[in-house]
Amino acid sequence: MIIIDKISERKNEFIELPDEKLSKKTSLENCLLNLFHWKEKKKEIHEKKIKVALKINSDEELIFGENDLRYIKMIQINFLNFKDGRPFTLAKKLRKKFLYKGEIRASGNILPDQFVFLLRCGFDTVEIKEMEKDTWLELLEFDDGLYYQP
Amino acid sequence: MYKYSEIDKKIVANRVKQFKNQVDRRLSGKLTEDEFKPLRLMNGLYLQLHAYMLRVAIPYGELSSKQLRQLAFIADKYDRGYGHFTTRQNIQFNWPKLPDVPEILEELSKVEMHAIQTSGNCIRNISADHLAGLTIEEIEDPRPWCEIIRKWSTFHPEFSFLPRKFKIAVTGCSEDRAAILVHDIGLRLIKDKGDIGFEVFVGGGQGRSPYIAKKIKNFLPKKDLLNYLEAILTTYNQLGRRDNIYKARIKILLNELGIEKFKEFVEENFKRFSNKKLILDKSTIKNIFKFFKLPSLKPGLEKVPEIKNSLFLEWKNQNVLPHKHPNYSIILVSLKSNEKPPGDASSIQMRKLADIADKYSFGEIRVTHEQNLVLPHVENSRVYEIWNELLNINLATPNIGLITDTICCPGMDYCALATARSIPISQKITDHFKNYSHQKEIGDLKIKISGCINACGHHHVGNIGILGLDRKGKEFYQITLGGSAKENASIGQIVGPSFSEKDLMGAIEKIIKVYKKNKIYEKEDFLSVFKRIGIKKFKEKLYDNN
Ligand code: SF4
Repeated sequence: MIIIDKISERKNEFIELPDEKLSKKTSLENCLLNLFHWKEKKKEIHEKKIKVALKINSDEELIFGENDLRYIKMIQINFLNFKDGRPFTLAKKLRKKFLYKGEIRASGNILPDQFVFLLRCGFDTVEIKEMEKDTWLELLEFDDGLYYQP
Repeated sequence: MYKYSEIDKKIVANRVKQFKNQVDRRLSGKLTEDEFKPLRLMNGLYLQLHAYMLRVAIPYGELSSKQLRQLAFIADKYDRGYGHFTTRQNIQFNWPKLPDVPEILEELSKVEMHAIQTSGNCIRNISADHLAGLTIEEIEDPRPWCEIIRKWSTFHPEFSFLPRKFKIAVTGCSEDRAAILVHDIGLRLIKDKGDIGFEVFVGGGQGRSPYIAKKIKNFLPKKDLLNYLEAILTTYNQLGRRDNIYKARIKILLNELGIEKFKEFVEENFKRFSNKKLILDKSTIKNIFKFFKLPSLKPGLEKVPEIKNSLFLEWKNQNVLPHKHPNYSIILVSLKSNEKPPGDASSIQMRKLADIADKYSFGEIRVTHEQNLVLPHVENSRVYEIWNELLNINLATPNIGLITDTICCPGMDYCALATARSIPISQKITDHFKNYSHQKEIGDLKIKISGCINACGHHHVGNIGILGLDRKGKEFYQITLGGSAKENASIGQIVGPSFSEKDLMGAIEKIIKVYKKNKIYEKEDFLSVFKRIGIKKFKEKLYDNN
């Protein structure tokens, strides 16, 4: 898997851990936490003022408030199904309601045809299979920047 | 009529290219059918019983003669020589082949047409009163508003993967010809202390659980229209159910939350998310309105001359309406002859009608949600002439609003979801009641027929609704009475056990008998009688075994 944005690609910088695998020694900064981890470690994160990456699924509620967002450097919204359009609203909400400035990443079951929509709703990056990269970038070329919405 | 800007042209051309890429990826196996499906649906392409079906958008039902000719060309070249006008003012082709579709879209784009968002779980083509801009009682023309909404909703990045389809209709009159109360959002232009704005209804719909829309806003200033729509859609996209396709429409969400709670969410989103750039300023609105001015109409006869020809007079009585310009008439062209399925037009008829529109009606044609066509501005002095021409192409059936002006879905003849046929039922009704004076005696009566519970034929809101069912492999028909899609919208009540195809016409006859017997004045229509006497008398007659 690779991470791409509009112009560049890179390796995933975060390590994803299974639920139970969170030991005392785990360096939170380098991990992709899920909501379970977040609940466990929230206090510690606030206290130590560290910045973490958090993954939520498209069917999960955003349970944190404006205060929490200061400690989140990346939110990965994982599409369980590309037909589930909730993450588009979620990203908008993060940007417009919570004025979230960190990275928003899409992963999971998404189509290259959705790339432009994702970017326009506030996503910065997507996690995709390396072999699909060309299709993703090819579809980006259809984007001529002409939209009906501001 | 609206003319594409350079941006419109580019956006549509781009979409054609993009769709070609999607079709190529599908044909080469890069996209699975499951992945391709929502993409093709967003471009109006359905998989039907026998073949693909392509639904082409006719924004708010408005067509030019040039566009109609192009539709005729497409019908001949890529289909079987006809098209089918739908209950949402669009046109469908029933036999296109997948590899041809990008080319068809290209042909459409040459005349500023497309199939964008005519299906799929997105905001569909915006529909409007088919008499928009033509009547005296209208508060304001809804078409410019439809165009504003069309733009905003096209390829909306946030709302292209909604829980379910989403339909918006707009009217500018108190008389509702656009069925706004059975839409996901219905907008009515109203005047409040001199200001014009919108009355907003939400959560109407048909399908297996029909609902009449509820009012969510008494008066929405024009400038806030898009932000308010966005607030409703954000609420729906976030909270609408995705676990069960039959419970995914906004009507179910609204019903589960209750209108008050739902409204709270909407108002909150409206406050929190309102985007300054979506506020409509006066000059934007004015620029769109410029496209919808009346053509230059000239003085002439005050009245349509009374020619002594009984066929003409029948037609004139039934299909000709007064225009707001006193020297002009509005002509309704019925697509409900007894020779074709309701809403069908052959390529020959389309071409001839395009010529007629050029000759008599400034090249303008409209499509009604009741699957008929309109020639919007015809000089009173030329109404007889136009009748003769329409007669020659079998488009002068005098039945607008009468019992044979049925609305009907494609049913088992085309649709993969159908449980029974609907077109043959409509044809039987048209045959049975073909005598004009008999129809006239029955008066205004809307029969609406669906081939399954999905209700594309709007049977819930038919004065008489007919729903095709499958009972152990046999077609049966359930009858509902008292539905209406007008300003007094109501959902029809089921009259009792369903009827076999053989017994259906007899049942309709009995319903008509009860109605006739109970009307208290000559012109009292079916709906009014039904509302007065209730369903019981009809039940008694239908199930008394005599
Ligand atoms: S009502 Fe049923 S049969 Fe008729 S078009 Fe809709 S899905 Fe098909």
